[in-house]
Amino acid sequence: MKTPLIVFDNFTFKYDAQVEPTLHDINLTLYEGEKVLILGQSGSGKSTMVHCLNGLIPYSFKGKINGSLTIAGVDTLHTSIFQLSKIVGTVLQDSDAQFVALSVEDDVAFALENKSMPKKEMIPLVHYALNKVGMIDFLKQVPFELSGGQKQKVAVAGILHEDVKILLFDEPLASLDPVSNLRTVEMMDEMAQDGKTVIVVEHRFEDILHRKVDRVIVLEEGRIVFDGDVNRLLQEDILRKNGLREPLYVQALRMAKIDLKGLSLNQVQDVDFAHFKKQLSFLNDKHPLPPQKERLPLVEVKDVSFAYDPKKLVLKNISFKLYKGERLALVGQNGAGKSTLAKLLVGVIRPQSGSIEINGEDIKIYSIAEIANRIGYVMQNPNTMIVKHMIKEEVSLALTLRKYSSDAIDKAVTEALTITGLESMSHWPINALSYGQKKRLTVASILALKPEVLILDEPTAGQDYRHYTEIMDFLNEINVSAGISFIFITHDIHLAIEYTDRALVFSDGTLIKDARIFDALSDQSILERASLTQTSLYTLAQKCGFEPERVIENFILHKGLYE
Amino acid sequence: MSRRFVINLVQGDTYLQKLNGTTKLGLFLIVMVYTMMSFDLRLLLPLFILSWIGLASLKPNYKLILGLFGFIFFMNFVNIILYYAVNQDVGSSYLNGTRTVLIQFNSYWYLTIETLWYLSVRQFKMMTSFMISMVFILSITPGELASGMSGLKIPYKISTVTSLAFRYIPEIFNDYETIKMSMQARGLELDKRRLNVIKRLKENMMILIPLIFTSFDRIGNIANALDLRGFGQGKSRTYYCEDPVTSRDKLFRGITILLIIFCISYMIYQNVNHFGMWFPFKI
Repeated sequence: MKTPLIVFDNFTFKYDAQVEPTLHDINLTLYEGEKVLILGQSGSGKSTMVHCLNGLIPYSFKGKINGSLTIAGVDTLHTSIFQLSKIVGTVLQDSDAQFVALSVEDDVAFALENKSMPKKEMIPLVHYALNKVGMIDFLKQVPFELSGGQKQKVAVAGILHEDVKILLFDEPLASLDPVSNLRTVEMMDEMAQDGKTVIVVEHRFEDILHRKVDRVIVLEEGRIVFDGDVNRLLQEDILRKNGLREPLYVQALRMAKIDLKGLSLNQVQDVDFAHFKKQLSFLNDKHPLPPQKERLPLVEVKDVSFAYDPKKLVLKNISFKLYKGERLALVGQNGAGKSTLAKLLVGVIRPQSGSIEINGEDIKIYSIAEIANRIGYVMQNPNTMIVKHMIKEEVSLALTLRKYSSDAIDKAVTEALTITGLESMSHWPINALSYGQKKRLTVASILALKPEVLILDEPTAGQDYRHYTEIMDFLNEINVSAGISFIFITHDIHLAIEYTDRALVFSDGTLIKDARIFDALSDQSILERASLTQTSLYTLAQKCGFEPERVIENFILHKGLYE
Repeated sequence: MSRRFVINLVQGDTYLQKLNGTTKLGLFLIVMVYTMMSFDLRLLLPLFILSWIGLASLKPNYKLILGLFGFIFFMNFVNIILYYAVNQDVGSSYLNGTRTVLIQFNSYWYLTIETLWYLSVRQFKMMTSFMISMVFILSITPGELASGMSGLKIPYKISTVTSLAFRYIPEIFNDYETIKMSMQARGLELDKRRLNVIKRLKENMMILIPLIFTSFDRIGNIANALDLRGFGQGKSRTYYCEDPVTSRDKLFRGITILLIIFCISYMIYQNVNHFGMWFPFKI
């Protein structure tokens, strides 16, 4: 007999600052021990739902509630966030903000300290929780020494006190490397096995499917548009209708026009691909290598090494070339040296040995600002780049600082705004822009300098599929129309597969692979060293006896036609 | 990139570090009162020696300590010179008015034994309080400081804010570095050789705007994290990092109480008798 644990009853919520409700007439019952995934585009009401579940609504975010939400028999309107925090444990997306103490054990004890538990009782609980998440050896570590994945584990341990029934994960995979993502999915599954009710909000559906999910809820404009199991979700084509990303193996099956009715699609392992070998054989087509065009090297990195601390090299003897118009992916674990390389390319730090050349000129003679005329850098979070109030001012900033004439500035700004599709908004204030538009704006503000290379740090982190596609297609257009080369620093294998020509794989400060992404992904030892994972296409290829790299290549080729 | 701190974030295992937070904080406060209340070398000298012993027991990074010591010594020395320049007889007013000229430089500048004594003791006192502070800072972690403060009945929200500052100031510093990097790439000149102070301040303002906005985002997230983990539910909270009170703590707490009694009696005695500072060279 299933016990209802969370009951939304005609629940409607409207933020005080908004005219329209963000959640409309939600009727939903979640049962004890279920593992539930909540999907939806940005603005669909997912985060609002999370805030309702953990009590931040109505405690911190004020608004009007109609209907009721009952958790473990308690009406959330008539309880406090503290009472609720004893039943619902939340792991925030920002694992840095959640780590409030100065050592691992202190942080895990934080909630217990707030309950005024004597130290003697805390110690076994802290050790138990850290054992559960496999972080017991890190008791005395300070947060500055931990990776994102480790901080997240500590965050989970911090909410695992004895009476917590529901674990709520808010986009847990947003900023981790692929292997850490799998470990997180496995950990969430273990918590579910332990009898906790696990609720996950996440865009990365394919990664989540690494372990079984009992139930999927899809939200669209504040309403529930789907509530059922993974199989039905995929068969009824709910994801595409709502602008969400389908797992690659399901896309492949659709491309082959295979009827999904009656198939078991829950996890890639469940699908009997061999049965459809004939329909899928187009994925194994052999293409002659495209004729090697005469390519002009634009940036040449020659045997570059760098260290902050003389005893430890962060980058060791890195050499590669970036050709004109090429799109390059820098992949590898956090701390493998990708950001250091980006800093070297923009001249913020300089190589200890070796050289970096642009069009055959060593950049060491140039200042940072002079290098910026050739290599632009776009940061992950647009809010860390925007300094002005008006769009036009922001885009012209770099030119104004360089004391260009006002005619030249106008011309360059108009051009940059046209390329980025913002020209009609040139007189808008920046705070009227959406996240995606802000991203375009930051790209425009760098393009105004007419660089030949753009470095983008995680351009789509935390974005849903629609925004991801929007941003990446936009960058692709610039690549084609303006002939600008791109370097993407990313953990997102999908991005690397779909939008780059070549991948540089880093591990521990060395460049371990410089190849087409298909080839890099098919090398098992490279994957392990760089904490990368295979996509579901690899499993498909294996089951059918196809060449994995060929499958990925054909998949990308046909994807354009299929969409 | 690892950043080394002067302070310890995690408790070490030397004798002083193992003490309970409240013990350390209480002892530190009373010793500071003790240092401030008098200009008596007989009181300061033993403390100065003890503070070096205490420091040695913490196995510190001497290079850093000596560097800081030199810096503080220099700053106070400048201060002392100013004292002297303003009033060459400053010592006499503290030493019952006697005035013994030691060196007459020229018709205007001279140095009396009293002034030399007073200023030397003053410098010594400053260095003693520096040493005491160093021993305190090196023996306590921010977490223990918070638990120590709550042990002294200071509201826990105040002590939590202090430890949160230690947690997030390095992160904000990292944000600053990243924003600075992107602004420099856009042409912001921050080279001190090319810009005067005013201009540089203005340019730095450009970095501050995004820094403030990202910090606000962060603060919002931290506030949510604190709420969600039940912070602020009770009138008091306990501390995981708080060490149990051992016999060692009792010993030091006893010393603290004796020092409190001594300091109070000393101050009363001083106020009743109005005696000047101790001066061994009285003629």
